Amino acid sequence: MGELLHISPILASILVMLLPLFAFIIQASLGEKATSGNISLIAILISFILSATIVLPGIWNKPPQYNTYDWFTIGTKTFTIGILLNNLTVLMQLVVCLIAVPVHIYSRAYMKGDPGIARYWTFLSLFCFAMLGLTISKNLLMLYIFWELVGFASYLLIGFWYTRDAATAANKKAFIINRVGDIGFLIGIACLYSLFGTLDIIEILGEGGLFSQGIVDQQSSLMTLAGLGFFLGAMAKSAQFPLHIWLPDAMEGPTSVSSLIHAATMVAAGVFLLSTLFPLFNDTVLLFIAIIGTITALMAAYFALEQHDIKKVLAYSTISQLGYMMVAIGIGAWDAAMFHLTTHAFFKCLLFLGAGAVIHEMNTIKKHDCQTIDPQDLRNMGGLRKYMPKTFILMSIASFALAGFPLTSGFLSKDAIIISSFEWAIHQGGLYHIIPIVLVVVSILTAFYIGRLIFKTFFGELRINTTANSLLHEAPKTMLWPMFFLGIGCLFFCFSPSPISYHLAPILDGFSVTYSFSEVHSLHIIIPVTLTLTALISWWIAYRWYVLDQHPVHSYNLDIEQNSNRKVAVFDFIPYHLANSLIIFSRWNYHFDKYIIDGSVNAIVKFTLRTSQIASWIDTYIVDAIVIGISNLSKRIANFSAWFDKYIIDGLVNTIAQTTYYFGHLLRWVQNGRLQNYLGFALTMVLIGIIYLILR
Amino acid sequence: MISITHFLIVSACIFCCGLYAVLAKRNAIMILIGIELMINAAILNFVAFGRYDKSNYGGQIFALFAIVLAAAAVAVGLAIILAVYRHYKTINPDNITDLRD
Amino acid sequence: MGVLSFLIFSPLVAAVLIAVLPSSLRQSYKYIALVFTLIQLIVSGWLYGQFDNTASGINTADGFQYVEQVPWIHLSLGSLGQLEIDYFLGIDGISMPLLVLSAFVMLMAIGASWNIEKNLKGYFALIMLLNMAVMGIFCALDFFLFYIFYEVMLLPLYFLIGIWGGANREYAAIKFFIYTLFGSVFMLLVIVGLYFSVINPNTGAHTFNMLYMMDPSHYVDGSFFAWFNNYNEVLGIPARLLGFIVLFLAFAIKVPIVPLHTWLPDAHVEAPTPISIILAGILLKIGGYGIVRVCVSIFPDAVTYSNWWLGLIGVVSILYGAFNALAQKDLKRMIAYSSISHMGFVVLGIASLTVEGISGALFQMISHGFLSASLFFLVGVLYDRVHDRNIYNFRGLASLMPKFTVFISLAFFASLGLPGFSAFIGEAFVIIGAFNAESVGSGLPRWMAIAGSVGILLSAAYFLWTLQRMFFGQTRLKGGEEWALVLEKDINWRERIVIIPALALALILGVMPFLFFDKLNSSVVHLVSIVSQYL
Repeated sequence: MGELLHISPILASILVMLLPLFAFIIQASLGEKATSGNISLIAILISFILSATIVLPGIWNKPPQYNTYDWFTIGTKTFTIGILLNNLTVLMQLVVCLIAVPVHIYSRAYMKGDPGIARYWTFLSLFCFAMLGLTISKNLLMLYIFWELVGFASYLLIGFWYTRDAATAANKKAFIINRVGDIGFLIGIACLYSLFGTLDIIEILGEGGLFSQGIVDQQSSLMTLAGLGFFLGAMAKSAQFPLHIWLPDAMEGPTSVSSLIHAATMVAAGVFLLSTLFPLFNDTVLLFIAIIGTITALMAAYFALEQHDIKKVLAYSTISQLGYMMVAIGIGAWDAAMFHLTTHAFFKCLLFLGAGAVIHEMNTIKKHDCQTIDPQDLRNMGGLRKYMPKTFILMSIASFALAGFPLTSGFLSKDAIIISSFEWAIHQGGLYHIIPIVLVVVSILTAFYIGRLIFKTFFGELRINTTANSLLHEAPKTMLWPMFFLGIGCLFFCFSPSPISYHLAPILDGFSVTYSFSEVHSLHIIIPVTLTLTALISWWIAYRWYVLDQHPVHSYNLDIEQNSNRKVAVFDFIPYHLANSLIIFSRWNYHFDKYIIDGSVNAIVKFTLRTSQIASWIDTYIVDAIVIGISNLSKRIANFSAWFDKYIIDGLVNTIAQTTYYFGHLLRWVQNGRLQNYLGFALTMVLIGIIYLILR
Repeated sequence: MISITHFLIVSACIFCCGLYAVLAKRNAIMILIGIELMINAAILNFVAFGRYDKSNYGGQIFALFAIVLAAAAVAVGLAIILAVYRHYKTINPDNITDLRD
Repeated sequence: MGVLSFLIFSPLVAAVLIAVLPSSLRQSYKYIALVFTLIQLIVSGWLYGQFDNTASGINTADGFQYVEQVPWIHLSLGSLGQLEIDYFLGIDGISMPLLVLSAFVMLMAIGASWNIEKNLKGYFALIMLLNMAVMGIFCALDFFLFYIFYEVMLLPLYFLIGIWGGANREYAAIKFFIYTLFGSVFMLLVIVGLYFSVINPNTGAHTFNMLYMMDPSHYVDGSFFAWFNNYNEVLGIPARLLGFIVLFLAFAIKVPIVPLHTWLPDAHVEAPTPISIILAGILLKIGGYGIVRVCVSIFPDAVTYSNWWLGLIGVVSILYGAFNALAQKDLKRMIAYSSISHMGFVVLGIASLTVEGISGALFQMISHGFLSASLFFLVGVLYDRVHDRNIYNFRGLASLMPKFTVFISLAFFASLGLPGFSAFIGEAFVIIGAFNAESVGSGLPRWMAIAGSVGILLSAAYFLWTLQRMFFGQTRLKGGEEWALVLEKDINWRERIVIIPALALALILGVMPFLFFDKLNSSVVHLVSIVSQYL
């Protein structure tokens, strides 16, 4: 098609970026009138088509293309902007388009009737422009500009309902924490500029670029500072511990926004940045990245276990998965990180959209009964499978992918990361093994909390009394179709011809990263099997707890005798001993289950839940409290410096003025109009003069 | 033997009396008298120093001049005091503070 | 008469015209002022278009453009020689952008003065006088002429704040006046010292010509400020360093730096809106301009010696101003402190002595000119309606005045350095330049760049916090219904005409920074090459 239209991939990618900008400008100038969102939708649709038909085929597995344009000159140094198209950037651009299109369609139904909808479309187009621009930037300064613009768009969208105090507090928090990261980014840029004298990615990292010429010592402290600076930027944007706290709060925005920005695209920008600049990082920085990624993955998965807000569960899940990607980068497998980024974008976006549909229905109940329920609270949900079966199926597929069941995309990408990390650990040896083991634990926890979410939402009975049952219905078609589209994207065949081996995935081939460690073949069988089994067990436990209500925390016991009697009735015509053995097996099974597995599992799980609560407490009262403490501290400092300014510095100035005034006042008294006094003073002065002359 | 020092001491005493009257008295006429005393102290000095003058009677001539001038000054001063009295209904200088800023 | 003289003295014509017109025509004063400033803007725009980007200026008379040099005061002083003061004007890449900025901000201020009621004749005549002085400062190349314009500028400002200001105006006016005079009196001493140290090689007489002062070869051997072999000391400080410090302090009061800043919050808060616009938009830039034009160019040896302290002052100003802004309850005061913080970047950038840093600093001055003028104007819009500026007395204004909220959010985000707006380019390059300084060897440590970047973070904190407190949430006003009725009218057309070009320029400069960098480059490169000889 590229040849057909005579559009080069470069031009096409520029168009992909600029179309949402035009949509933004048109929407903004139309103001309140443009409520339909058609302009934004058409723009992103054309972007998607261009990206998929011209840019990707023109670049994928072909030599990278780039174009540079002079922007401005400072002194003798010229700063450029440019388009860089290689496998990494075109993939990222396509992913953004791919996710943005369904979200746009979905929003038409989801945001219908909102008074500020025109604003919504404007902001959404702005975000798409910034995000698409970010993906193809050739110059770090340009990348930084888009980097901050996506943060700005995210600020606007989180605070979309600006009359809610929680939303406005959340968007401020998000922006300021992202600003912390931006400072890191800026310092990274400054480091590179003073090292290389240019900010052009190709000039620095390209073939024969300054970096490969070895003029810079990669182990130097300035390079470490640069690496840590860029990582700080990525930490804030990709919500890594301890800068993750803005993301759960960001759920105050509309759910469609959360799905696009805070699940699939913007938060992945940190991973994308680190992948782009990967060669710059030395071992110290990489190890730091891996450690932070591991901490983030584990901690966020823990927090997700006991959250009651459906969107918060997904938010913590996003943080946890981003931790995975960071680990992948830290161990050098940034292709696996990008692979996981791509698959994660689909299933997490779908989960959010499904959650949005669920919240929509819960809101219907809320409005109908005028109840003061929280429509996002999992404790109120249940049994929604009956009312919205399609949403249920789609969300289940997505959660399978998140949990890493075979045949899904998540299985492939997660395996890629975990296996690589084991191989890396074996190569490094020693304590490095902690990282892959933690990743496996996280994988189990992930399966558990997402199973819990599905079971609590869709199984059992609705947990609130309502008369609005008849009003509950499947999500409208405009919402279902995008979800269906994303649902297909959760399956393995979109990414790899083989359902079990990630090595055949074209995305991984496209990057052809050379690992520092060697492949260990046995792991490629052990790990997937272990992960699948543990995921199954997690789901089984979650099913028992949340559907059968055998939650160990509730003291509830199943009456084994009744159950087995019923089973005898079922197997009436089967030979007695078979039935009997079944009963015995079941009983044995139950006892084994109850005392051995359940006991140990329950103990583990109880322990896990308890630690989860503790961790969640820590997150709220320690990590977040530190942030609040810092903000309070800066307010204190601010108040102190205001006081200091007013009473000390300005006070000093005023004191000088007052002293001068006082002396003036003192001397003024001399001028009292009495001639005799004047004479007296004159005489005094003469006397003083005489005395001086005498004593001299 | 009466030396010039004695003359100077007497003249200084008269001058101080005059100065005191000028600075401290609450009556303009007394101040005028004080001024007269100070002039007289000066005249006494003229006469005393006249003894050492090479040209004869220089000091005495000056003294005569000064006496005449003093008489004129007293006349003008009294006239001013009269005018002040008409204007302010007082000749106490403490009550006349028009020179104040 | 050259074009620069026209630029300088056309406001004087306007001032005279306003002064002689009878009071019955008082409604025409603002139109006269408007027409004259508009002509000025057009002329300065034309100058900008005609400007030769390759000419470097700084210390070579050939590098200056639109030069006018006529003898002004030439007196024979007998044994003291010949007094030689020239009427010497010219612009280079450093003053050119500031000239355009001044014309633009003046126009904005006239637009903001539309509703002034009190004593129109005096008001517009004084503003025009101020206009003349400001233009003169940016064009003058003779130190004596420069000083005259510098002092003339104070007079109208004193009256404009003292008569048309707020409740506490007399205090603020006197404080402003005394502060600036304090600096400039000492400046005069250094000017005289320089006069006696420098001779004009053509006539052999002492001269006030700034360009001669920048050339080491024109200094008299053994004079007080002699360039080479100078062993003069005052209180143990070498003479040239002392001269630099005194001149720096004189201009730094204008910038202002912490701790010499306390006139600024008072003056800004008490001044009427148009004067706040001029103060923030132009007056602060005179400080930065003076440091580059006078301090750095005449004393490059002393700058390289003391730039660590300059950088420290810059960083302290950035952080101190930002923290103070965070604590303010009065919106105008908050913006005043944010100005201190943003002008700290200018000092830090100049202290870096790198091309990037100085360019960034000059760009930041231009950008801050547009943005702080917009911010003060927008505060004025609010104040005009309800006569209150306390942040805590407003809440949820976004629902009430959506268009105003859009404008002020844009101005806030532009000021906190959102890419796409000019402040970002300025601040980013100051940081990059300061960071790079260690590599160049100018002795500015890297932590200063990092500490300065924390100021960017804090600026986000105070602007966003203000946005959240005043504009978001449910509407709740101290004045209740009465305020709501007044505020509902939102921003009117006249106000939009004033604010839109300013924000548009901030946006244009953010997207196309080359519009000004192209003018700056050759001058800045030349300046850095002069200074770096002494590193």
